[in-house]
Amino acid sequence: MALRPLTLPLSITRRIAPLSRPFSSSTVSHPSNQIQIYISRLTDPYLNLSIEHFLLQRTPPDSFVLLLYANRPCVVVGRNQNPWVEANLGLLRERGVLGRLRRDHFQNGGDGSGVGYGEGEENDILLVRRRSGGGAVFHDAGNANWSVICPPASFDRDAHAAMVVRALGSRLGVAGCRVNARHDIVMDIPSSPSSASPILPRSSSPPADAGGERESGEASQPFKISGSAYKLTRSRSLHHGTCLLSSPHLPLLGRVLRSPAAPYILARGVESVRSPVRNAGVGSLRAFEDAVVAEFGAMYRADQAGVKVQVLGGDGDGEEGVSEEAVRGIPEVRRGYEELVSPEWIYTQTPQFTFSTHPSASDPRPRPAAPFRMSMTVRHGKITEASLSSSSSPSSTNLDSEFSLLGKHLHLVRDWREYIPGARGEWLNGIFGGGGDDIGRDNTKS
Amino acid sequence: MASIMRCVRAAASRPSTFSRIAQANTSMRASNWKPATLARSFSSSPIRDIRKYTKEHEWIDLNADQTAGVIGISSYAAEELGDVVYVELPEEGREVGAGDAIGAVESVKSAADINAPVACRITSVNRLLEEKPGTINQVPEDDSHGGGWIAKVAVGEQGLKDLEALMTAEEYTAFTGEEH
Repeated sequence: MALRPLTLPLSITRRIAPLSRPFSSSTVSHPSNQIQIYISRLTDPYLNLSIEHFLLQRTPPDSFVLLLYANRPCVVVGRNQNPWVEANLGLLRERGVLGRLRRDHFQNGGDGSGVGYGEGEENDILLVRRRSGGGAVFHDAGNANWSVICPPASFDRDAHAAMVVRALGSRLGVAGCRVNARHDIVMDIPSSPSSASPILPRSSSPPADAGGERESGEASQPFKISGSAYKLTRSRSLHHGTCLLSSPHLPLLGRVLRSPAAPYILARGVESVRSPVRNAGVGSLRAFEDAVVAEFGAMYRADQAGVKVQVLGGDGDGEEGVSEEAVRGIPEVRRGYEELVSPEWIYTQTPQFTFSTHPSASDPRPRPAAPFRMSMTVRHGKITEASLSSSSSPSSTNLDSEFSLLGKHLHLVRDWREYIPGARGEWLNGIFGGGGDDIGRDNTKS
Repeated sequence: MASIMRCVRAAASRPSTFSRIAQANTSMRASNWKPATLARSFSSSPIRDIRKYTKEHEWIDLNADQTAGVIGISSYAAEELGDVVYVELPEEGREVGAGDAIGAVESVKSAADINAPVACRITSVNRLLEEKPGTINQVPEDDSHGGGWIAKVAVGEQGLKDLEALMTAEEYTAFTGEEH
């Protein structure tokens, strides 16, 4: 698509435009706003994704929009993923879990940086399902999110990842970055025995692509620093991605993103592919924002336009921004938020899956030994079939348990012992992360 | 279907195979077009009154008495999207307007909305796609059992009106040719 030449003088400042309602449905949808740039200082992942969705729905069809944000710790799964497979829900339900994991890790030979986290919300991990496709990722303040919304005719799976590569390379001096065949940004690191990362978070693409990683030869190894996902609507396209700048949590990701239930679950939908990751080594989120804003500006000729960066939230440090209250007050944002925090969206959107403690004809994978036999089918998050057997329990007890589970939403089964007494319920609590509270909802503002 | 990306597979030549074949056989029913690699035969009726396409790459076939139809995504869209890994089917019984998102397909990390081509009520959905989403890549315009169609719909007066704005197979082929 031919870009509309812009002739206004550039001034990328951190000031909001002098309008009475600088961030509203009517402002973002105004046809004159061909290029829009937002930086959210808000850290609620449900809110940032709702702002993004609002912009996707409301900005003019031919406009180009950039949104940058960083979330508080959370696991974000793709639209068609299974949270019981993608995340250790038991850990996610534990209050202050990041603090505990950090203490455990750094007491065992870590470098000790960042120790001293309290029990505040920065140590809880929320569970989020986004509206775009792709795989599961861990977010925290050191993992920046960039998001570009553009007309469908301009959609290209690599163009904006390449924009971020330029921001990293030319403006932040991070060498060796490129977009790989899976539309991720990787950093080629010269191979040395110590450079291998033990961390394997994920992206979702066929593993077959991974062979393409070897093109750079044995002398260097690619580490993923940024993963992409896309959402295509009738009139707009969204490409968003993460960028690991300086997350202190990389050594912990394996535990958070590895589910004890995964070996027993055969799921439809999208499974994540693990990739070795690392930080780009950019210490300042602000520097990253400036670099991406500058590249986006250059790409869409905002460098000649009076496009102002609008800050949402503001850091309370002299930075002027649209208040969180005003952002939350936008009806479309509020509706999007309510959907994203709802258990219906987070859990019952899960594609159908089966859980079986033992290999079967349809799922012959070997798996860790289970102390009894159980299988169930979960459709739209609800248990539609359940079968239990055990040599130590009378079959009538099993029937009672099966019966009590039928029609139950799996995410509402908080303590399996209520349905299957004794050691078997205990074991299931360990597998599904039962027995605790969900911190998701009550920890977010609405 | 939504936007289609240009650079998904740089190696793919343009216009697509589908476009070229369709251009060569403009009188041929799009749904009866069969790639050489597919051995399956179609059981659907060879005579249809209307198959029309949206700019967003959905198709709709109306039955002879114009009260019911089948909808799906075009071969062009299926090729552009790449390997479909999951299909979110529409909700049965739902009444929708033209352009409303009724479901989505996921491919290559992209969740793409499927939109209703015309106002309609969803009467049934193609459950085969739950287990075999790749059917959409193989036979996206096949409305028979085993095909890649998405949903069957009931169409009323408004739906018939909406239909008039849609493209014929020839127009759609020309349209997708222009996109590249």
